[in-house]
Amino acid sequence: MHTFQDPQFGDKVVTLMAALVLVLQIAMAGQGWIVTNIRIFAAQSLLLAAMAGTIAWFNHATHLYIAAALTLLVKVILVPILLERLVERIDIRREIEPIVNVPLSVLISGGLTLVGYIIAESFQRPQGAGPAALGHNALAVAISLFLIGFFMTINRRKALTQVLALLCLENGLFLAAISLTYGMPLIVELGVLFDVLVAVLVLGILVYRIRETFESMDVSRLRRLRG
Amino acid sequence: MILAALLFFPLAAAALSAMVRRRAWMEAANLAGFAITFVLALALAGEVLRRGTVSLWGDFLYADHLSALVALLTASIALVCAVYAVGYLRDDERSGAFEDEPAAKLRKYYTLTPLFVFSMLLVVLANNLGVMWAAIEATTLASVFLVTFYGKVTSLEAAWKYAIIGGVGLSMALFGTIVAYYSAQHLPGSGELSSLNWSVLAGRAAYLDKPAMRLAFVLVLMGYGTKAGLAPMHTWKPDAYSEAPVPSAAILSSVMLNCALYGLVRFYVLTSRCLGTEYPGRLLLLFGMLSMGISVPFVLIQKNFRRLLAYHTIDHAGIMVTALGIGGKLACLGLMLHMTFHTVAKSLLFLCAGNVYQYFRTDLFHKIKGGVLRVMPLTGAVFLMAILAIIGMPPFSLFQSEFVIVRAAFAGGHAWAGGLFILFGTGVFAGALLHVGSLVLGPASAPVAPRRPWRDNSLVVLAAVLIAIGFWLPAPLLDLIRGAARIVTGD
Repeated sequence: MHTFQDPQFGDKVVTLMAALVLVLQIAMAGQGWIVTNIRIFAAQSLLLAAMAGTIAWFNHATHLYIAAALTLLVKVILVPILLERLVERIDIRREIEPIVNVPLSVLISGGLTLVGYIIAESFQRPQGAGPAALGHNALAVAISLFLIGFFMTINRRKALTQVLALLCLENGLFLAAISLTYGMPLIVELGVLFDVLVAVLVLGILVYRIRETFESMDVSRLRRLRG
Repeated sequence: MILAALLFFPLAAAALSAMVRRRAWMEAANLAGFAITFVLALALAGEVLRRGTVSLWGDFLYADHLSALVALLTASIALVCAVYAVGYLRDDERSGAFEDEPAAKLRKYYTLTPLFVFSMLLVVLANNLGVMWAAIEATTLASVFLVTFYGKVTSLEAAWKYAIIGGVGLSMALFGTIVAYYSAQHLPGSGELSSLNWSVLAGRAAYLDKPAMRLAFVLVLMGYGTKAGLAPMHTWKPDAYSEAPVPSAAILSSVMLNCALYGLVRFYVLTSRCLGTEYPGRLLLLFGMLSMGISVPFVLIQKNFRRLLAYHTIDHAGIMVTALGIGGKLACLGLMLHMTFHTVAKSLLFLCAGNVYQYFRTDLFHKIKGGVLRVMPLTGAVFLMAILAIIGMPPFSLFQSEFVIVRAAFAGGHAWAGGLFILFGTGVFAGALLHVGSLVLGPASAPVAPRRPWRDNSLVVLAAVLIAIGFWLPAPLLDLIRGAARIVTGD
């Protein structure tokens, strides 16, 4: 069979890309520069779009091409541009002192990846072979992405990096969707991406106003409302 | 047709308000839009009672008794709050609460509120669970800037918590939705799109993948539970409710809570038909009891009456989730009754609190020093009545629904849940009565307030409804409530 139609080859390509996505995620967890974080996010989204494209190709799931194209447009181009502009305007470039330090956060991310693999085991399809098995490793990565994203939202203190952590969570979900079910129905995918875009706009405006008001984006200073 | 129109008119009201310049036009657009929406929701309820279910666009939009009930509640409260908001925002404008940009603030309120209502109606009318998720996320996005409306430091903090906690929570719900979609993958004959449609899944729930549905339900419970403000994911709630303008807070605390619970109920139906009621029931009871328990100390020590009402909402979210967890015919009937009664009483309380807040310019008990009944006789009387109603005093309606739920708990073998329910209920009862009693009663502490037609009339209408439903539920409404309960129990 031609290499480009062999499902096993497809599985290898997807697994390779999933591994890269995971490496990027851990790099982000251990990275303090906000602009670098945004670029890592863009690269990760690009890989996800490529994975969606690959899965679509090997499984003849045409609607996934559209999902891949939309991801490319929204998460690789629009969202990073919006976020980088925001960084220029608020002029804060570095996450200072996350709650857990860098080596430890990388270690925790590694541990969460392990948890991701354990959870993904329970999703083993009864018939392990065939095109259905495509992207199984990707599911483990997706769950790890979700967990690491979760950890990052807690660990980060700057409002903008919390937004990035939220976006990583969403990337994990997209990966889970394409590896479990070859993507959600297109209308759902559209709705989700629309929400992501609006959320980035809304949170961006909030970040900007917090910066104006507090002269810092440190959300740990947001603690007047209690009880 | 009704379904499309129900979604179209709030959108049209938002678009109109965004375009016009004068305040009067924005007010008119909102009032007209919500009045039409209300009539349409009534028509939808009638249609559902006649035909069972209504659907449109190849089942993309779908309404049964449960959707019609929640849609009707949403539309009625939206209309009352629209009337109230006219007076409320005019007062704000006169008193200079908008600082130097009144037109922009007004446009923000009158555009975002219909969008907010639109997304809530989409939640209950969307058949596809993924679309429902997107709509629930949209309710957060539409209301974030209502929370920051006054632009204070504390409003920014509240909005940030609201957006981030809500966002993280809802991402779990999306994960749950994806897993549910996966669990339906092997169902024969399910098309690409329709296999996330609730109406399709509910019919075949027994064939869903069981381990996957287990995981899906936990994730959805955490997700929509965050949106409903169940403990321990409730921390955004008191902040958001006390910073948003009062009509928005009324909508947030009553109708948006219903929407989040609605999403949870839809998944509960799938899960209980797939795995039996015990597994989801235990989880729901846990979160329900925790929410009721956590609200008690905060109600007792509260210094701020809008935050008091927010903790009260957490308590009631707990009550409704507990009812769902108990399961069975009686408890589900209690749940639907309680949802209806709570919606009326809680929005009425927020509107009263708004009147007091605007007149005294503070929401702290110790600064007002009591006497609201003498300063603002109507508001004070209604406030006292509504608080008695919501803590479950007979003859008001919430007593009936809570009584039904407690009876169902004991009858269903959940004696400890019933016992704790009564214990926590007593704590909240004491705290709320003490605080609101000291606020409303006592000698006058300020000159008597003038009448305010827009706000007072909306109070009177809602109070009349609250009293009326304590004694007499119109037969069609009762049918709708019974039908909604039947959807949950599945017979």
